[in-house]
Amino acid sequence: MTDITVKVNGAPRTAPVEARRTLADFLRDDLDLTGTHVGCEHGVCGACTVIVDGRPVRSCLMLAVQAAGHEVTTIEGLALDGVLGPLQQAMRDSHSFQCGFCTPGFVMQATAFLGAHPNAGEQEIREALSGNICRCTGYQSIIDGVLLAAERSRADVGSDG
Amino acid sequence: MTQIAAQRYTGVSVKRSEDLRILIGAGRYVDDIKLPGMLHAAFVRSPLAHGRVLKVDASAARALPGVVAVLTGADLDEMTVRGPDPLLAMMGGGGPTAEYSLLATDTVRLVGDPVAVVIAESRYLAEDGCELVEVDYEDLPPVASAAVALDAGSTPVFANLGNNIIGPHKRSEFGDVAGTFAAADRIAEFHLDVHRHQNVPMEGRGCVASYVADSGLLTMHAATQSVHVTRMGVAACLGVAPDRVRVLAGDIGGSFGLKIGASREELAVAAASRALGRPVKWIEDRGENLTASGQAREESFDVRAAVSDDGDLLGLDVSMVIDTGAYPVMGTMVPSIIEAMLPGPYKLAALGFESTAVVTNKASYIAYRGPWASETFVRERVLDLLAKDLGLDPFEIRLRNVAPRTSPPAMMITGRPLTGVTTRESLQRLAQLVDVPAFRRRQAAERARGRYLGIGVATFIEAAPGPRAPEGSGGALGQESMRLRLAEDGIVMLFTGQMPHGQGHQTTLAQIAADEFGVPFEQVRVVIGDSDAVPFGLTGGSRSATMTGGVTLHGARQLKAKVLDAAALLMEASALDLEITDGQVVVRGDPDSAIGVAEVARQAASGRLGADVDAILEVEATFDGGEGGWSGGSHCAIVEVDVETGIVKVERYVATEDCGALINPAVVEGQIRGGIAQGIGAVLLERSAYDQDGNYQSATFMDYLLPTACDIPQIEIEHLQTVPLDADVNFRGVGEGGMIVAPPTVVNAIEDALAPFGVRIYEQHLPPARILELIAEQADDDAAASKSTA
Amino acid sequence: MKLPDFSYEAPATVAEATALLAEHQDEASLLAGGQSLIPLMALRLARPAVLVDINGLDELSGVSVTDGRVTVGAMTREYMAEESETVAATLPLLASALPLIGHEAIRSRGTLGGSVAHADPAAELPAVARALDAEFVVRSQSGERVIPAAEWFEGYLTTARHPDEILVEVRFPVAEPGTGVAFLEIARRHGDFAVVGLATSLTLTDGTITDARLAFSGVADVPVRATAAESLLVGQQPSAELFTEAARLAAAPLDPPADLHGSSDYRKKVAVALVRRGLRAAADNAHERQ
Repeated sequence: MTDITVKVNGAPRTAPVEARRTLADFLRDDLDLTGTHVGCEHGVCGACTVIVDGRPVRSCLMLAVQAAGHEVTTIEGLALDGVLGPLQQAMRDSHSFQCGFCTPGFVMQATAFLGAHPNAGEQEIREALSGNICRCTGYQSIIDGVLLAAERSRADVGSDG
Repeated sequence: MTQIAAQRYTGVSVKRSEDLRILIGAGRYVDDIKLPGMLHAAFVRSPLAHGRVLKVDASAARALPGVVAVLTGADLDEMTVRGPDPLLAMMGGGGPTAEYSLLATDTVRLVGDPVAVVIAESRYLAEDGCELVEVDYEDLPPVASAAVALDAGSTPVFANLGNNIIGPHKRSEFGDVAGTFAAADRIAEFHLDVHRHQNVPMEGRGCVASYVADSGLLTMHAATQSVHVTRMGVAACLGVAPDRVRVLAGDIGGSFGLKIGASREELAVAAASRALGRPVKWIEDRGENLTASGQAREESFDVRAAVSDDGDLLGLDVSMVIDTGAYPVMGTMVPSIIEAMLPGPYKLAALGFESTAVVTNKASYIAYRGPWASETFVRERVLDLLAKDLGLDPFEIRLRNVAPRTSPPAMMITGRPLTGVTTRESLQRLAQLVDVPAFRRRQAAERARGRYLGIGVATFIEAAPGPRAPEGSGGALGQESMRLRLAEDGIVMLFTGQMPHGQGHQTTLAQIAADEFGVPFEQVRVVIGDSDAVPFGLTGGSRSATMTGGVTLHGARQLKAKVLDAAALLMEASALDLEITDGQVVVRGDPDSAIGVAEVARQAASGRLGADVDAILEVEATFDGGEGGWSGGSHCAIVEVDVETGIVKVERYVATEDCGALINPAVVEGQIRGGIAQGIGAVLLERSAYDQDGNYQSATFMDYLLPTACDIPQIEIEHLQTVPLDADVNFRGVGEGGMIVAPPTVVNAIEDALAPFGVRIYEQHLPPARILELIAEQADDDAAASKSTA
Repeated sequence: MKLPDFSYEAPATVAEATALLAEHQDEASLLAGGQSLIPLMALRLARPAVLVDINGLDELSGVSVTDGRVTVGAMTREYMAEESETVAATLPLLASALPLIGHEAIRSRGTLGGSVAHADPAAELPAVARALDAEFVVRSQSGERVIPAAEWFEGYLTTARHPDEILVEVRFPVAEPGTGVAFLEIARRHGDFAVVGLATSLTLTDGTITDARLAFSGVADVPVRATAAESLLVGQQPSAELFTEAARLAAAPLDPPADLHGSSDYRKKVAVALVRRGLRAAADNAHERQ
């Protein structure tokens, strides 16, 4: 076991871990940040997606020890004191989700993608989200939520300009 | 239309209250639960499809630091009561009963069959421990297909059954089958296969069982579609009275029929917790979920159709074999539902139906969203095949055969009235939306350029809940119960046995109650997920829109009447002069008289209103479905098939649907789209594949392929003006319809695209390689045929 | 699906890494991006006794061009190669393949070196490397070796790397002027491994094909160059008939494996279609580049 310190949602968090512990299990079990979900443990479903050093990453395919000294953002880090951020609000307005299990992974992936591609259109968004699997919605409502968030963000920028 | 007192929320896409927690990662799923002293379970599983267990040696596993206990099948057999699966026990069945122990003791019957459970300080250590359990197996001949199972010489999967027929052959006839077939202009014969595929919710099965020795109570934190069915199952297995078990459920990551009752693993974990006196958590991993949690839909059909030269489908004679896998759950119940639903909304005059159910060395056949869906696949595929033989358009043949909406309603030959069925309207509206003639022109132009587009249509009805049963003994789906209470803080609490796992009940039921009772939406709280607190209920069978929507509506009225009676005493007015608006009780026409409902509740609780007023303003309501009714719709898909690679793209998908009155349109559309996505997935991507030795081949997400955002197009949905049947409750269910009708819709479209090649399709799974095979096989058949005539 | 236990090392330099490999030999596995190795370990199909995490070896990351050769450090993340203007300008075939690798989150961690050292025959980068006759530079405590792509890929998940060697960089020739490329895949879904994939590169000089590269993924246990088809193409002018004949020649010797996603016969048929389509796309791109 080694003590590792990872900056998670802006705060340094320290815990002892075995080398084989995944980042996903570290977040969920050692740090009690259960918002990140585990759906397959082999890197396909995307439910475990978090942001590491600004990039979307499958936390089931990273060892916790690899995150030591790096910055990790989870879905808990997007909430503004428990209030929905703009992407989350747009997703709520669009009825994006049903059971919610895939939701944190989609929110993190969409956050990372929109941050880098604020003017993305529907097809680009579909491709960017095609590595996250949802079994409930058929995806349209999720795409709608992301498009709405992008549109509102552009409108805000326009009005601030 | 539905008569609700003040329709402010009902019919509106009210934003979901669930989203406030799930969008910020504050949902509480069973793997999020951590209890003091909690241990973790992992299962030792059979690598063989069929074998005798000669020896289980857990000594090395028990010696591993961090492993607290290993319980073998034999250990668990001693501490539990053998019995059928809880869903099977609840729904009954009949037919031969398989005998088996909770975990495998002397025989393993599928790859992944659990043989022992290792309990350790962490899941990591439990899995390490599993690797150290040594099991000696002796191979038995695998019963890896229905064909093998039907052979009387195949090794019985269950020794006590003597053979592998668990649903012995039976035949029923409706109408004059022999006469109809004798008089028909033509008889067409087909063999149709539906492939095995499965639920695959994003959250698998799991539980935390927590037994406290002092109280003798077991608390089961579950992911389940019914806390009560789970409780019954756990109590029966542990041999205790149900009140010794409490089942709690929070957020559930999807289910689609997987999580009903309690699986063998969950029961083993409950027994382990009791044996150890500590909480034990088991969360199945994706490999277990794909391999062992259960699968569905593996059915084959021999179909004879009696047809007129003009395209009337006069009669069907269907012989079905269903592969129910190993441990019996739902498989044996499916044929009778298929039989009942086969006529669909059509004027079928005669039906012969026979079925045989077999056990095999595969995962158990479990409920999967519309378990009887193959009836729609068979019927809608047959209609298209007949249309091609007769040179009829697919819309045309369906419109010709749809039963007219008459009063009294036309009867399905299998006995149910087609009350309020709007199939004709849905087909006609669909044809308008799609503009079929324009598509046919485009199709012809593209064919000339070597591109193959196709259009497919299919229609369905679903008993959600189905029309009122003629005997008057209650609705088709039994009674639904709800307790409604006005709490002292003014919150209207709805205690329901519904267990939503994506359906948004905490929003939809609150919409109805808010409108009916007279409070803002935010002043209603839907209480779910505690077997000690809620009445019996189960979320499934597309029942909740009608049954729970209806009990909410009527219950809210009853609660309102009770509250107004109490308020009348408080306000010294007649209850008839009172109304509730925005949470205020007010004398009609005198706004200054308003008092909050909270005040009424508090006054009642204080006893100041006299002995005739209950301290707690609460009602127990039940609802039998009212007039009920059918849901249904017609779907159309336009696809493009790349005939060099077999890749199919769904270019456009349009659904016209009729589910009566909509509680929350966004929720309704979400259910429909999700079901359609599963249907598209079934045809193009998903197969639970076994080889001839019973080895499971789709055990990861690299092999069991789920559709992604690039595979599902925008789905256009139009809701029909419906036929109101009930004075009050005209909400009908939509949970399963998309998954029922999408597969034949897509298959019909693919066959249409391949029409220039003469391809006919008699199966449901069409991955790229199969598409090319079908084209090549047809070319070979055509070549052989022209040779023989040359 | 928890990982089995292992001993973990995180060297800070390549020298430390090679020392560890010299000590542990085939008991050790190198952990680069982890996007292939960790799933195998989660399934307990791979169980190295020692895991040598080389994510700290910054010296192995980066893209540089010298004397007509592009050197890509083995630890260059796939997303960085995707964003690299150097790669876009000098290695258009690599640039066209990178977006097809899995999904964005995979490319956040996955590395070029990791992918070619893992050598999954259905992956994109091995086919690109094979098409371009890339050179693989490995280092051990005894020094460096340079292994040409034709010798690098030995079998299913097997390369010419010795257990005590670490891949440090991959070298590619800069694309000649007049080169058009296409990387096409038939995959079950967007982002999946190819059922059959094809890396195509054509160089046109005055309307004549002066260089042709065709490398398949997914048709054998290693990426496969279609040398007979390449020979046919060189010296000819692009035409539909030429490409059809090249496709026939390319697919004829193939004996692809069968699996859940396609039979051997299916893969051969698809290979034919991919060659025709790939050649047409590459020829069109070549004209655009000129």
